[in-house]
Amino acid sequence: MTAGTDTVGTESAPTEADPAARAGSTRGRLVLKGIHKSLGGKEVVRGIDLTMEPGEFLTLLGPSGCGKSTTLNMVAGHLLPDSGAVEVDGRDITRLPANRRSMGMVFQSYALFPHMTVAENIAFGLRMRKVGAARRSRRAAEFLELVGLDGMGERYPRQLSGGQRQRTALARALIVEPDLLLLDEPFSNLDAQLRVRLREEVGALQRRVGTTTILVTHDQDEALAVSDRIAVMAEGAIHQLDVPETVYLRPATDFVAQFVGEVNVLDGTAAGAAADGHRCRIGGTHLVTATPVGTAPGDGESVRLYVRPEAVRVRALPEAVSGKGGPATTSAPAAAEPGLPGTVEATRFLGTRVRCVVATAAGRVEATLPFGAEVPGLGEEVICAWQAQHASLTARP
Amino acid sequence: MAGSARVADGQALTPDGSAPAPGGSRPVAKRGPWRTGLLLASPAIAVFALLFIAPLFMLVYNSFRTQAGAPTLHNYTRFLGDSFYRDVLWHTLWIGALTTLGCLVVGYPFAVYLRGRSPRARNYLSLVLLSPLLISMVTRAYGWLVLLGPKGPIADGFQAMGLEAPKMLYNDTAVVIGMVHVMLAYMVLPLMGSLDRIDPALTPAAKGLGASGWTCFWRITVPLSLPGMLAGSLIVFSLTVSSFVTPAILGGPTVKLMPYFVYTEATSNLNWPYAAAIGFVLIVVTTILTAVYARLLRGRGGKEVFA
Amino acid sequence: MTTAREAETATATEASGASGKPIAAGVGGRARRLLGAVFAALVGLFLLAPVLVTIASSLTTTSYVTFPPKGLTLHWYAELLNRPEFLDSFLLSIGVAAGAAVVSSALGLAAGLAIHRYPFPGKAVLDRLFSSAFAVPTIVLGIGLLQWYAQLGMASSPLTLLLAHLVLTVPYTVRLVLAGLAGLDRSAELAAAGLGAKAPRVFWHVTLPAVRGPLIAGAFFALITSFDDLTIALFVVTTDMQTLPVRIFNYLQYNYDPTVTAVGTVMVLFAAVAVVIIERVVGVAHLFGADPEN
Repeated sequence: MTAGTDTVGTESAPTEADPAARAGSTRGRLVLKGIHKSLGGKEVVRGIDLTMEPGEFLTLLGPSGCGKSTTLNMVAGHLLPDSGAVEVDGRDITRLPANRRSMGMVFQSYALFPHMTVAENIAFGLRMRKVGAARRSRRAAEFLELVGLDGMGERYPRQLSGGQRQRTALARALIVEPDLLLLDEPFSNLDAQLRVRLREEVGALQRRVGTTTILVTHDQDEALAVSDRIAVMAEGAIHQLDVPETVYLRPATDFVAQFVGEVNVLDGTAAGAAADGHRCRIGGTHLVTATPVGTAPGDGESVRLYVRPEAVRVRALPEAVSGKGGPATTSAPAAAEPGLPGTVEATRFLGTRVRCVVATAAGRVEATLPFGAEVPGLGEEVICAWQAQHASLTARP
Repeated sequence: MAGSARVADGQALTPDGSAPAPGGSRPVAKRGPWRTGLLLASPAIAVFALLFIAPLFMLVYNSFRTQAGAPTLHNYTRFLGDSFYRDVLWHTLWIGALTTLGCLVVGYPFAVYLRGRSPRARNYLSLVLLSPLLISMVTRAYGWLVLLGPKGPIADGFQAMGLEAPKMLYNDTAVVIGMVHVMLAYMVLPLMGSLDRIDPALTPAAKGLGASGWTCFWRITVPLSLPGMLAGSLIVFSLTVSSFVTPAILGGPTVKLMPYFVYTEATSNLNWPYAAAIGFVLIVVTTILTAVYARLLRGRGGKEVFA
Repeated sequence: MTTAREAETATATEASGASGKPIAAGVGGRARRLLGAVFAALVGLFLLAPVLVTIASSLTTTSYVTFPPKGLTLHWYAELLNRPEFLDSFLLSIGVAAGAAVVSSALGLAAGLAIHRYPFPGKAVLDRLFSSAFAVPTIVLGIGLLQWYAQLGMASSPLTLLLAHLVLTVPYTVRLVLAGLAGLDRSAELAAAGLGAKAPRVFWHVTLPAVRGPLIAGAFFALITSFDDLTIALFVVTTDMQTLPVRIFNYLQYNYDPTVTAVGTVMVLFAAVAVVIIERVVGVAHLFGADPEN
């Protein structure tokens, strides 16, 4: 809940003159309570609980079939949950038809009306709300400008590029000043460069207008780049719901760890709390630290540790300690020097970075060395270490 | 994304796993969606049940009765036992085959030609192609009467060259010309559909592998357009063997096909059961022939082309 | 998911397709193109010849039909005015055809929607029926309907003719509507609902425009089919109530004067006007999206 609030400004209530003046809105608080949904005999959503603060940008991230779009469609009113409730600003809208909710949705296919001009598309929601023609066209012009499509109002969707269609769909969704903005894989039909540019634009626009927003995507880069919080979903459930940094650096489950990026998975036993996190013994002797997810494990419990290659630091092993040789050496140094000793097995040049593979007692550990860092030679004895806040500790499944 | 949950695929959007009502704004599923469907389809169903299925069933029933109403197989045994009627059947099928062939020979190159034209040119050429269907079949047949008649412009042309004009009216030639004229669109439209689905990169790709223009045409274009050829041939054949007006006007007294006998048995001889029997012999034979043809062509083209 | 774009291009350039221009190679290419143009022109001539001959010979001064016409006169059109039965028949035909067009559009739209998006018992049968109705010879249907109407005690009337024509026209409109719906992105309807449109307004603003072209094309085909039908009409009409094709057909049995070509020309003009209207309203390309039916 922390990150949601940092976009909330101090501006006053929305005025008609400036379409972007809704920043600071206090409406659009979404609560999902115990949502279940089966489609075609298969339970695709299994108990989703979620609270979004006004103005928050939340991403539902997950692979195909994880239930994220189904969830979005239940928020939009296109699907009825089997059980559970959808509330917006304290009002239960679970059974309210889509046309009586206030949701602005952007579809993967954009779903522009092919027989209407861009301006007519954008003004459609106002027309449904019986807003007069003059005011409609004035507002449409404002929103055209807002999304950078000035002067394109008279074109038809087929005359637009993919990015322009996307912006039209966004303006059409935002003009009705919806409680929530729902984005269903909105960038997946765009080429890579445009995708990055548009997601930045959408992020910036969302911060300006302050509409509570849910983005559904399977692209973790997208999720990490634009969200206040990310809910990682798999098989109909939320595996982790947190700010992007935490989701990335301290995944809560195997699934999150694997889905959101590359990760080192290390198994060990818990070895008591430390000042900055929790200690964990790996390969029987080596002590490392990590931050527990949820309640801290008791001493001696089997735990699993996730750490990203970017978080791993590789240092040469001090001579005095390495004297004896082999990586899985015996004794004490761990106490003095937290970390996992090992031998450099391979290094790969990746352009801006170097990937270093270290064979340790707990298996291979991969580290990404920053540009300019000293690259250890093959066969060199090293210690892999990381800060406790950059690794997560979970009970071993 | 959950295949069943995609918004765009239209399925499984309401709680019971069916598509929502038009507009999809009502996520409530009190009444079964099949009731809505049935309600929407009911006028068309009623029309077809009352004015298509019922009369046809009555005809089938009658075709197994004598005129007095007693059950009999006589109408069918009479038809099949009489070499005159068997010849009529063969003649009808022969005209159907010739017309289909004619449509293929004229229509295939025309479809290939259309393929390379601009959308605008295609529109207007397609309109010309459809024009025979847009004008009254009586007008159309009458035009051919004038054109093919012994004093018509074509006969004049022969005479101008000092040749004796062949007899062009009231024979098979006239009927086939008239039928190809009407049916050409039914052949070309499916062919165009098939040709459009061929990846335009295939021909350059084959040429890059050393194939000549002709080889490309025979090895790539023709096999890949088999579905269109099949669809077009089936429609042209079925419609030709069952057409009445054009053969009646252009065939005159000499070319008498199955539909003509259905007509005269019903109207002149007032032998309804026999008229019905002739009609159903035609339907059954046509169905069998088109099924065999479809199977043969499919066997040649392979399943892939028809997928 | 390119459905939105497909929907657009489907309405814009139905017949254009993605056809690759044949890669013409030099001199051979030019010769081949010329050959193609000549061939296409010949096919065009073949297709248009009967109409051109009919129009031209309606202007002849002779009392028999001949081509090329001898002299020019509008006499046979004036003669037409002295024959009120042709006008009566024309009005009957156009009335029945207009009725068939409107009714079969409505039935076709409803049935198309039902088939496209609702499961209901007998749906597959109905779909099959619509796509194979053409295999039943019209003449068989004609005698069937004649007997069936007699069985039901229904006397011949414009209504019975209109109903009979629906059997010929509804399969057209259903096919066309289905093609139109296939090009419609369902999420456009969801988007409209999400923007506050109730079901009827979603239908009016989004669904209907998507099938507008196919629907107009279907109505046009229904109009022409009904207007030109001779085979069914021969059985359903009476001597007092004859459609124009029946009138011409009967007239031809005993006459061979250019009056008939004048009537034919009027009918051609009628079709041409309809085509021009279609072109103005939705573009003729919609006419070719059809699966040909009888």
